[in-house]
Amino acid sequence: MLNFNTPISDTKEYSEIKISEIEPILKINLRGKNRDFITKIGKELSIIAPVDPNTSSSNEKLNLLWLSPDEWFLYSNDKLVIKDANLLENKLFNEISKVKLGSVTNVSDHWIMINLKGTKIFELLSAGCPFNFNNFKNSKGAVTQTLLNHIDVIIHNKNINDLNLFVRRSFSSHLWSWMNDSARFI
Amino acid sequence: MFLINCPYCGERDQSEFSAGGEAHIIRPKQPTEMSDDQWAEYLFMRKNIKGIQFERWNHSHGCRKWFNMVRDTSNDKIHAVYKMGEKPPV
Repeated sequence: MLNFNTPISDTKEYSEIKISEIEPILKINLRGKNRDFITKIGKELSIIAPVDPNTSSSNEKLNLLWLSPDEWFLYSNDKLVIKDANLLENKLFNEISKVKLGSVTNVSDHWIMINLKGTKIFELLSAGCPFNFNNFKNSKGAVTQTLLNHIDVIIHNKNINDLNLFVRRSFSSHLWSWMNDSARFI
Repeated sequence: MFLINCPYCGERDQSEFSAGGEAHIIRPKQPTEMSDDQWAEYLFMRKNIKGIQFERWNHSHGCRKWFNMVRDTSNDKIHAVYKMGEKPPV
């Protein structure tokens, strides 16, 4: 049984930075290698799976992030309605996993999504991250997997000065504390 | 600290990667016919030279893909990065 209880459930505002946990949203990990798999994703989700590194594609409801040449991360824009989430997961499972095109894993309870907004969010991230955000911050839809304060994160640049950050549940409280602590000094 | 050009993700900091030891070590086709010394040689003994070395690396905090790298161990200069299964370019 998936655990949708959030470990954070909070919103904090500092000068030029707003940090809030968005929950619960649907998150699904998709893995597959062949062309049929990519075609099937496009057909089932009405999104073309991004094949260029560090990119994403979106529609009104869903975002599909490139993680590696054979791995994608799907998440919803809207808060999760468990019945709808199960429908989508089952649809993908039946069309992809069951016919051995690839694998579909519901990771809704595995990743925590934190939304960061404001003009100084990249200064906050740069305080604990080895990634160079110079090009990233101006590329809408850009995606990166990197380290933030030694913790693995996925960062999706949704819009200018508006990004979603995904962190594993077990690290989320610590990262949340670090971000709030760092934001006070920026 | 140095930058590594991941063949999948692009240029990233070394801290996102894990070194996986010497590259291009071929597993013996008939391990049962080998002596213990020969097996130990294959399994444990690795070169650790000062100079150009062929290595395996993993982008462990990124795309999690393995790749090969030609690195000068004396100054960390990277001469080439290439995907698994590809022939060394130098």
